[in-house]
Amino acid sequence: MQSRSIYKVPQGKLLKITLDYDETKNVITNIRITGDFFVYPEEALEHLEKKLKNICLERKELQEQISSVISKYHIEFIGLNAESLAQGIMMCVS
Amino acid sequence: MSEQWRLLQTGYANAFANMAIDKAILVAHSNEKVPPTVRFYGWAPPAISIGYFQSLVEEIDINACHRLGVDYVRRITGGGAVFHEKELTYSIVIAESHPTIPKNILKSYARVCGAVMKGLQQLGISSEYAPINDIVTDGRKISGNAQTRKLKTVLQHGTVLMDVDVDTMFSLLKVPNEKIKDKLIADVKQRVTSIRHCLGKEVSFKQVAGAMKGGFEEEFHVDLIEGVLTDEERNLAKQFENESFSTKEWNQRR
Repeated sequence: MQSRSIYKVPQGKLLKITLDYDETKNVITNIRITGDFFVYPEEALEHLEKKLKNICLERKELQEQISSVISKYHIEFIGLNAESLAQGIMMCVS
Repeated sequence: MSEQWRLLQTGYANAFANMAIDKAILVAHSNEKVPPTVRFYGWAPPAISIGYFQSLVEEIDINACHRLGVDYVRRITGGGAVFHEKELTYSIVIAESHPTIPKNILKSYARVCGAVMKGLQQLGISSEYAPINDIVTDGRKISGNAQTRKLKTVLQHGTVLMDVDVDTMFSLLKVPNEKIKDKLIADVKQRVTSIRHCLGKEVSFKQVAGAMKGGFEEEFHVDLIEGVLTDEERNLAKQFENESFSTKEWNQRR
């Protein structure tokens, strides 16, 4: 199943998510995160997309996984944050 | 004596060459082959650049671009889609460790934008930095900016709008909701301005470049010495243009 969301991050940029997910298992099978935000280093966003595969579509679990990737890859977001990413993802399934 | 940085006035080039030259300067400076560099340039043919994280097909009407002879390219910097036509584009390349560059990314945006604002002031336009990455005058955007940090080097490039054609811009960009497109266009016309609009007269690229040179010199307390791309930079730029910026793989990667 594929679903999309567009979410304006409060005080931030426009986040667009294309989400493929397994409805029965409630997990992400593929995710593409696009928009006019900034990520340092840029390549880290692709790591984050990979690390979100097979993650359960639960807000708390998503936020934890996003935060752990942020700290592991020393990612700095501008115009975006972990909460908003989780929000954008959850909007795809609500 | 003031520190001397290099000034490159590379004139008008196509989108792929323009983005390739900025990246080539970044690589050359990271290898300590060239001094900190400020570059002024324009776009011919007109082009749309999209931010590194944007989806090309979601942002741009590719058929309209072909029809109107407008190029499109993905930048190595984040941020939004920009229609480059009547503008001066600047770039600055400098080591992250240079004492004049704040370590904090947002503060460094503000610092570089300070140079653009001083340049606008030389033309008689007062402006202010509007975080995250805009410069506004009377609340209306006159400059958009985007920064990347790679190889321990900062590259920030940005636009200084000399004139603006919102209708053409929207004929090239896709909007999330076609039904509200007219309202969106009206909103953007209210929120964007240009040097021509502010001053009520045309100002040449050369005049804007002169003012911006002064702005960068004043902000960073340096002398900008006019120079040229090195052979190595030109070769690198050609390589980046052919291997990435002009390719479908690069431009459609997201």
